[in-house]
Amino acid sequence: MLRHALRWLLWILPTLIVVSIAAFLFLSYVPDPTDDPAQQFEPAERERIRREKFLDLPRFFNFTPLDVRARTKAAIIAVLDDDPATSDLGRRELVRLGGAALPHVLPQLDALSPEPRTKVTIALAPIGDRMGFAAEKLNDPNRAVAFWTRFWNDRDIEFRRASARSAVRRLSRYGSASRAAEMREFDTFVLEDVLAALEEPRDAGSFERTRALIEIAAHVTGRDDRINPSDDYATALKCVERWRGYWLVYENDFVTVDGLSRFAAIVLDTRYGKWAMSAFTQRFGPGPDGTPVLDGVIRRAPVTFTLVYGAIGVAYLLAFLLGFLGAASNQPRRDALVTFVLLALYAVPTAIFATFASRLGVQTGFLLPIVVLALGLLASPTRQVRAALASAFAQEHVLSSIARGASRSRALFVHALPTALLPFFTLATLEAPMALGGAFVVEQVFGLDGLGRATIDAVHSRDTSWLMAVSILTAATAAFGVIFTDLAHIMLDRRLIPGVLQERRKG
Amino acid sequence: MSHIAITARRFLHDRRTTVGGVVFGVLALAGIFAEVLAAPAPLLVVGGGQTEILPAITRPVAPPAGLDKPYGDAFVVWPLVRSSPTAESVEGPFAPSSAAHPLGTDEKGRDLFARVVYGARNALGISVVAIFLSTVFGVLLGGLSGIRGGVSRTILVRLVEAVDSFPAIIVVALVWAIERQPTSLSLILAVAFVRWAEIARLVHAESMRATAEDYALAARALGASRTRIFTQHVLPNALGPVTVSSVFGVASVVLLNATLAFLNMGTASDSVSWGELLAQGARRPEALRLLLLPSVLLFATVGASYLLADALRDAMDPRAAKVSKRDVGPSPHAAQ
Repeated sequence: MLRHALRWLLWILPTLIVVSIAAFLFLSYVPDPTDDPAQQFEPAERERIRREKFLDLPRFFNFTPLDVRARTKAAIIAVLDDDPATSDLGRRELVRLGGAALPHVLPQLDALSPEPRTKVTIALAPIGDRMGFAAEKLNDPNRAVAFWTRFWNDRDIEFRRASARSAVRRLSRYGSASRAAEMREFDTFVLEDVLAALEEPRDAGSFERTRALIEIAAHVTGRDDRINPSDDYATALKCVERWRGYWLVYENDFVTVDGLSRFAAIVLDTRYGKWAMSAFTQRFGPGPDGTPVLDGVIRRAPVTFTLVYGAIGVAYLLAFLLGFLGAASNQPRRDALVTFVLLALYAVPTAIFATFASRLGVQTGFLLPIVVLALGLLASPTRQVRAALASAFAQEHVLSSIARGASRSRALFVHALPTALLPFFTLATLEAPMALGGAFVVEQVFGLDGLGRATIDAVHSRDTSWLMAVSILTAATAAFGVIFTDLAHIMLDRRLIPGVLQERRKG
Repeated sequence: MSHIAITARRFLHDRRTTVGGVVFGVLALAGIFAEVLAAPAPLLVVGGGQTEILPAITRPVAPPAGLDKPYGDAFVVWPLVRSSPTAESVEGPFAPSSAAHPLGTDEKGRDLFARVVYGARNALGISVVAIFLSTVFGVLLGGLSGIRGGVSRTILVRLVEAVDSFPAIIVVALVWAIERQPTSLSLILAVAFVRWAEIARLVHAESMRATAEDYALAARALGASRTRIFTQHVLPNALGPVTVSSVFGVASVVLLNATLAFLNMGTASDSVSWGELLAQGARRPEALRLLLLPSVLLFATVGASYLLADALRDAMDPRAAKVSKRDVGPSPHAAQ
């Protein structure tokens, strides 16, 4: 039995991955927010929003991932374009790529004819300024080519990952203004190592190190998101998380993808890959209120789960008693009344009971919402128990035990009940998905902060990450429900063990 | 007497069928002929050199309101209530009942009677179409898995399990999120997507059972194809439970629909539905009418289809045969 449970637990992970892929594929058809005719976006702003929602990437496979090398190439072609607007865009792109692009620009300079070479080096001027070479007057065409040629002759040995990494390590260890200046000379080339070295600010030392690193990242990217010396650790941590989110989106602008990472990028540099990465590293990404989605789900899920499972528990307990009484006694008139009341409880929407109950104005915590939700769930289990118990009394093994002298109650509890309860348990675990809609209504009416309110808001604002998280949570709950049903079956009737195991093996 | 005739007879002689059928029939008729009960335009206009039938349907633009006699001296037959379910009336919100508005108006001043009638069309139309689609889809896929064995059966069984354990409300939420303008059609498709699995499971179970029976084996030995065995021998047995489950499905879809409208998700924002009235009633404690009216109607609809399904299930249950002796024919004792 333990083996069975373990095997099922192992199956959950692939199931969840499949569910997440299916839900993701579905949700990838959420309309592009930038196409909304009601809102007019500037092209650059539009591009940024699309990028941050990964809409520029293919869904599952990306055979041509754009890394810094490809982007630099495109930017240089744009710079050399005759159209001034395109050329301007190319210059801006080149400046944004920054130091990470230099290893792909400077060695090529010699291959260019003089005029384009000047154009490209002039375009590099803002990078040079950012690196601390403002005094060199790089806007001057005569000096620019000479400077950059010399620069690359002197420094190409430094523009290697290992030296960038050790520069970051030196800054973290010794931390001084001169080390920071040294890192600025790498410009965006060092960004990968800077952001990888970010740590959670826990004490004065780590706070200061993180602050210095983020200062450099903010300087080279021009993204004004810094930690103030007066900030507390929580604010600083938020800032670190924002930078990690930034890196998830823009990593490939500053990193060369080749070798193994090129293979990885086929899967990872896609919408699904990015989502999965953010799910693992960033707790399902930032939610609508800024806190990670996972934290929001963990905070709200207990409310909904208490409602759903509390209601199922209450309903099934009551149903069992009612069904038991119905099967034990034989009074057609009372039976008909019970049936009618149950039908009425089923047919009147939960919303009405909830509305009236909430107007009673009594503070009962979760009790009243649970009971309200349970009312609508009563009908089918009661019917089930009644029918099962009634037919159980007609079964031969029960009759023969009575014939051998067992009391009626012993025949009932020992022989009839276990088999009659099997479908009852199955029904109980299948009930949860049905009860969820009612739980959303009850949450809304009673003003409980559960998954319902947040999910409806997510639908209205098309918050994909929340909906993904809720889908996966639902699938996980369902999977646990299946395991629980099987275990309950086995516990009630040990003869089912080989059957259950075999069935699963076949499946 | 054939099996179907026996079942039909038992079904029709059931008191639950009468009650459920009458209630459901009245609601269905109200939904189908909603324009006769409430519309801003007349049913029939004769005179003035023209004859028009149901301009409310044929001409989408209603004549300007406030005109005392927009049709002049022509002979005009008006519907029961002269209001549209979506247009705001001059009486304003929460008007008490009057001759023009037998049930008063709602929080936006729209005629309540018209909204209730068109709500019936919405509720029943969506659920019946969705159930029909899901039944067709479920029978096809369940049959497919019954006919073909092996991997496709395994995949289908897994799929059915997965869809079955996924809450309908989340599916509708996902569908709603990917649509800019939600329509009734997308709601129908979402509901059909949730419901087909149950039907497929029933058909699948029946085909698993029946293909091992002697008559199916005999047919196989005579050279019948799998498709033929399915359509001739399996499907007729499966149709009983499928029908019962579908009729029960109508009740649950009506409730789901009301829940979705109550939560303001799943239907187009300007659609007329009972759930939307419920939401109004929940927001405004003073307007008890808005809460009670849709509840009674929902109760009637759900209860009626539940009764019908219940009667149908008992009529089809061969184990209930001893009850049926009285219905099927005179008992041997009566002949003596």
